[in-house]
Amino acid sequence: MYFLTALVCTIVAGVLFFCFRDRKGLHLDFLTITFGAATLMWLVDCIACAIGGEPFLSFDDPQDGWVALWTVLGGIGLWLVVSFVLNNGKKEEPKE
Amino acid sequence: MACFLVSTAAAVGVTVAQKIVAKKENKKVVPEETEIKDYKFGCETKWSTRLKYLATTLWTGSFLLAGEHVIHGEVVPFPPFLTAAADPTDAAEMLHEMGTVGVAMCALLIVAWGVGAFLCDLIKFRKHKKKQKPQLEKEI
Repeated sequence: MYFLTALVCTIVAGVLFFCFRDRKGLHLDFLTITFGAATLMWLVDCIACAIGGEPFLSFDDPQDGWVALWTVLGGIGLWLVVSFVLNNGKKEEPKE
Repeated sequence: MACFLVSTAAAVGVTVAQKIVAKKENKKVVPEETEIKDYKFGCETKWSTRLKYLATTLWTGSFLLAGEHVIHGEVVPFPPFLTAAADPTDAAEMLHEMGTVGVAMCALLIVAWGVGAFLCDLIKFRKHKKKQKPQLEKEI
Protein backbone atom coordinates (compact mmCIF):
# COMPACT_ATOMS: atom_id res chain seq x y z
CA MET A 1 0.00 0.00 0.00
CA TYR A 2 2.77 2.43 0.92
CA PHE A 3 4.50 1.62 -2.36
CA LEU A 4 1.43 2.91 -4.20
CA THR A 5 1.27 5.95 -1.91
CA ALA A 6 4.91 6.76 -2.61
CA LEU A 7 4.32 6.25 -6.35
CA VAL A 8 1.38 8.66 -6.39
CA CYS A 9 3.40 11.18 -4.34
CA THR A 10 6.30 10.89 -6.82
CA ILE A 11 3.99 11.55 -9.77
CA VAL A 12 2.34 14.55 -8.06
CA ALA A 13 5.71 15.98 -6.95
CA GLY A 14 7.16 15.38 -10.44
CA VAL A 15 4.28 17.21 -12.12
CA LEU A 16 4.62 20.11 -9.65
CA PHE A 17 8.39 20.20 -10.26
CA PHE A 18 7.80 20.37 -14.02
CA CYS A 19 5.16 23.10 -13.67
CA PHE A 20 7.26 25.24 -11.31
CA ARG A 21 10.71 24.35 -12.71
CA ASP A 22 11.71 28.03 -12.91
CA ARG A 23 11.13 28.61 -9.19
CA LYS A 24 14.31 27.16 -7.74
CA GLY A 25 13.47 28.37 -4.22
CA LEU A 26 10.69 25.81 -3.92
CA HIS A 27 13.21 22.92 -4.12
CA LEU A 28 10.59 20.66 -5.68
CA ASP A 29 13.42 18.58 -7.16
CA PHE A 30 14.25 17.54 -3.60
CA LEU A 31 10.64 16.50 -2.95
CA THR A 32 10.52 14.49 -6.18
CA ILE A 33 13.82 12.77 -5.36
CA THR A 34 12.59 11.96 -1.83
CA PHE A 35 9.43 10.23 -2.99
CA GLY A 36 11.13 8.73 -6.06
CA ALA A 37 13.86 7.12 -3.96
CA ALA A 38 11.32 5.65 -1.52
CA THR A 39 9.24 4.34 -4.44
CA LEU A 40 12.23 2.58 -5.98
CA MET A 41 13.25 1.07 -2.64
CA TRP A 42 9.75 -0.24 -1.94
CA LEU A 43 9.54 -1.52 -5.50
CA VAL A 44 12.53 -3.75 -4.74
CA ASP A 45 10.83 -4.79 -1.50
CA CYS A 46 7.63 -5.70 -3.40
CA ILE A 47 9.62 -7.70 -5.98
CA ALA A 48 11.44 -9.53 -3.15
CA CYS A 49 8.03 -10.35 -1.58
CA ALA A 50 6.74 -11.65 -4.93
CA ILE A 51 9.86 -13.83 -5.36
CA GLY A 52 9.33 -15.17 -1.83
CA GLY A 53 5.82 -16.31 -2.70
CA GLU A 54 3.98 -13.44 -1.03
CA PRO A 55 1.65 -11.11 -2.95
CA PHE A 56 3.34 -8.23 -4.80
CA LEU A 57 0.99 -5.71 -3.20
CA SER A 58 -0.56 -6.43 0.16
CA PHE A 59 -3.30 -4.46 1.90
CA ASP A 60 -3.79 -6.79 4.88
CA ASP A 61 -1.39 -5.28 7.41
CA PRO A 62 -3.27 -2.83 9.67
CA GLN A 63 -0.07 -0.77 10.05
CA ASP A 64 0.10 -0.10 6.30
CA GLY A 65 -2.09 2.96 6.70
CA TRP A 66 0.28 4.44 9.25
CA VAL A 67 3.25 3.78 6.98
CA ALA A 68 1.42 5.43 4.08
CA LEU A 69 0.67 8.44 6.28
CA TRP A 70 4.32 8.53 7.39
CA THR A 71 5.41 8.42 3.74
CA VAL A 72 3.42 11.53 2.88
CA LEU A 73 4.05 13.48 6.08
CA GLY A 74 7.69 12.40 6.43
CA GLY A 75 8.50 13.35 2.84
CA ILE A 76 6.73 16.71 3.02
CA GLY A 77 8.16 17.44 6.49
CA LEU A 78 11.70 16.68 5.33
CA TRP A 79 11.19 18.85 2.25
CA LEU A 80 9.92 21.76 4.37
CA VAL A 81 12.87 21.56 6.76
CA VAL A 82 15.46 21.24 3.98
CA SER A 83 13.85 24.04 1.93
CA PHE A 84 13.82 26.31 4.98
CA VAL A 85 17.49 25.58 5.69
CA LEU A 86 18.55 26.00 2.06
CA ASN A 87 16.61 29.24 1.61
CA ASN A 88 17.72 30.84 4.88
CA GLY A 89 21.08 29.25 5.55
CA LYS A 90 23.05 31.09 2.87
CA LYS A 91 25.51 33.60 4.23
CA GLU A 92 25.06 37.09 2.85
CA GLU A 93 28.04 38.42 0.96
CA PRO A 94 29.55 41.55 2.50
CA LYS A 95 28.64 44.72 0.63
CA GLU A 96 31.53 46.62 -0.86
CA MET B 1 14.33 -5.97 8.60
CA ALA B 2 17.24 -3.59 8.17
CA CYS B 3 17.58 -3.30 4.40
CA PHE B 4 17.68 0.50 4.59
CA LEU B 5 21.04 0.34 6.42
CA VAL B 6 22.85 -0.58 3.19
CA SER B 7 21.59 2.60 1.50
CA THR B 8 22.39 4.61 4.63
CA ALA B 9 25.98 3.33 4.62
CA ALA B 10 26.23 4.16 0.91
CA ALA B 11 24.82 7.64 1.62
CA VAL B 12 27.54 8.26 4.23
CA GLY B 13 30.23 7.20 1.75
CA VAL B 14 28.81 9.32 -1.07
CA THR B 15 28.48 12.38 1.20
CA VAL B 16 32.14 12.09 2.23
CA ALA B 17 33.17 11.66 -1.42
CA GLN B 18 31.05 14.66 -2.42
CA LYS B 19 32.73 16.89 0.19
CA ILE B 20 36.20 15.83 -1.00
CA VAL B 21 35.32 16.40 -4.67
CA ALA B 22 33.75 19.80 -3.85
CA LYS B 23 36.93 20.86 -2.04
CA LYS B 24 39.05 19.86 -5.03
CA GLU B 25 36.73 21.69 -7.43
CA ASN B 26 36.78 24.83 -5.31
CA LYS B 27 40.57 24.93 -5.62
CA LYS B 28 40.25 25.25 -9.39
CA VAL B 29 38.12 28.40 -9.49
CA VAL B 30 36.81 29.14 -12.97
CA PRO B 31 34.90 32.39 -13.55
CA GLU B 32 31.24 31.56 -14.17
CA GLU B 33 30.70 33.90 -17.09
CA THR B 34 33.57 32.65 -19.20
CA GLU B 35 32.39 30.44 -22.03
CA ILE B 36 33.54 26.87 -22.23
CA LYS B 37 35.81 26.69 -25.28
CA ASP B 38 36.03 22.96 -25.75
CA TYR B 39 32.51 21.83 -25.04
CA LYS B 40 32.37 18.19 -24.10
CA PHE B 41 29.40 16.05 -23.20
CA GLY B 42 28.67 16.47 -19.49
CA CYS B 43 31.17 19.26 -18.85
CA GLU B 44 28.49 21.73 -17.70
CA THR B 45 27.61 19.87 -14.49
CA LYS B 46 30.14 19.59 -11.67
CA TRP B 47 30.79 16.16 -10.20
CA SER B 48 30.12 17.51 -6.72
CA THR B 49 26.61 18.53 -7.82
CA ARG B 50 26.01 15.09 -9.30
CA LEU B 51 27.20 13.39 -6.13
CA LYS B 52 25.03 15.72 -4.07
CA TYR B 53 21.98 14.44 -5.95
CA LEU B 54 23.06 10.84 -5.36
CA ALA B 55 23.58 11.50 -1.65
CA THR B 56 20.14 13.16 -1.45
CA THR B 57 18.56 10.16 -3.16
CA LEU B 58 20.17 7.70 -0.78
CA TRP B 59 19.59 9.73 2.41
CA THR B 60 15.94 10.55 1.73
CA GLY B 61 15.05 7.04 0.60
CA SER B 62 16.70 5.58 3.70
CA PHE B 63 14.93 8.12 5.91
CA LEU B 64 11.45 7.14 4.70
CA LEU B 65 12.27 3.43 4.89
CA ALA B 66 13.66 3.83 8.41
CA GLY B 67 10.31 5.31 9.45
CA GLU B 68 8.54 2.30 7.98
CA HIS B 69 10.78 -0.03 10.00
CA VAL B 70 10.10 1.96 13.19
CA ILE B 71 6.33 1.66 12.63
CA HIS B 72 6.67 -2.08 12.05
CA GLY B 73 8.65 -2.38 15.30
CA GLU B 74 11.82 -3.62 13.59
CA VAL B 75 13.84 -0.64 14.79
CA VAL B 76 13.65 0.39 18.45
CA PRO B 77 15.19 3.36 20.30
CA PHE B 78 17.13 1.17 22.77
CA PRO B 79 19.95 -1.39 22.31
CA PRO B 80 20.35 -3.50 20.25
CA PHE B 81 18.22 -1.03 18.16
CA LEU B 82 17.34 -3.73 15.64
CA THR B 83 14.92 -6.26 17.13
CA ALA B 84 16.24 -8.94 14.79
CA ALA B 85 19.76 -8.52 16.21
CA ALA B 86 18.67 -9.89 19.59
CA ASP B 87 18.16 -13.42 18.26
CA PRO B 88 21.00 -15.18 16.31
CA THR B 89 18.55 -16.89 13.91
CA ASP B 90 16.81 -13.59 13.15
CA ALA B 91 20.18 -11.87 12.87
CA ALA B 92 21.29 -14.30 10.16
CA GLU B 93 18.03 -13.71 8.30
CA MET B 94 18.50 -9.97 8.68
CA LEU B 95 22.03 -10.10 7.26
CA HIS B 96 20.75 -12.19 4.35
CA GLU B 97 18.05 -9.62 3.66
CA MET B 98 20.58 -6.80 3.83
CA GLY B 99 22.80 -8.66 1.37
CA THR B 100 20.01 -9.28 -1.13
CA VAL B 101 17.17 -6.73 -0.83
CA GLY B 102 19.31 -3.97 0.70
CA VAL B 103 22.04 -4.22 -1.93
CA ALA B 104 19.42 -4.41 -4.71
CA MET B 105 17.73 -1.26 -3.37
CA CYS B 106 21.03 0.60 -3.24
CA ALA B 107 22.00 -0.59 -6.73
CA LEU B 108 18.64 0.46 -8.19
CA LEU B 109 18.97 3.94 -6.68
CA ILE B 110 22.47 4.32 -8.12
CA VAL B 111 21.28 3.14 -11.55
CA ALA B 112 18.32 5.55 -11.42
CA TRP B 113 20.68 8.39 -10.50
CA GLY B 114 23.03 7.43 -13.35
CA VAL B 115 20.19 7.44 -15.87
CA GLY B 116 18.95 10.78 -14.54
CA ALA B 117 22.41 12.35 -14.69
CA PHE B 118 22.92 11.06 -18.24
CA LEU B 119 19.57 12.46 -19.39
CA CYS B 120 20.34 15.86 -17.83
CA ASP B 121 23.69 15.95 -19.64
CA LEU B 122 22.03 14.90 -22.90
CA ILE B 123 19.43 17.70 -22.64
CA LYS B 124 22.15 20.27 -21.93
CA PHE B 125 24.30 18.95 -24.77
CA ARG B 126 21.39 19.20 -27.23
CA LYS B 127 20.63 22.75 -26.07
CA HIS B 128 24.26 23.69 -26.63
CA LYS B 129 24.21 22.14 -30.13
CA LYS B 130 21.04 24.07 -30.97
CA LYS B 131 22.68 27.31 -29.83
CA GLN B 132 25.80 26.60 -31.87
CA LYS B 133 23.98 25.82 -35.14
CA PRO B 134 22.96 29.38 -36.10
CA GLN B 135 26.47 30.63 -35.20
CA LEU B 136 28.09 28.07 -37.48
CA GLU B 137 25.66 28.89 -40.31
CA LYS B 138 26.54 32.58 -39.97
CA GLU B 139 30.24 31.81 -40.13
CA ILE B 140 29.75 29.80 -43.31
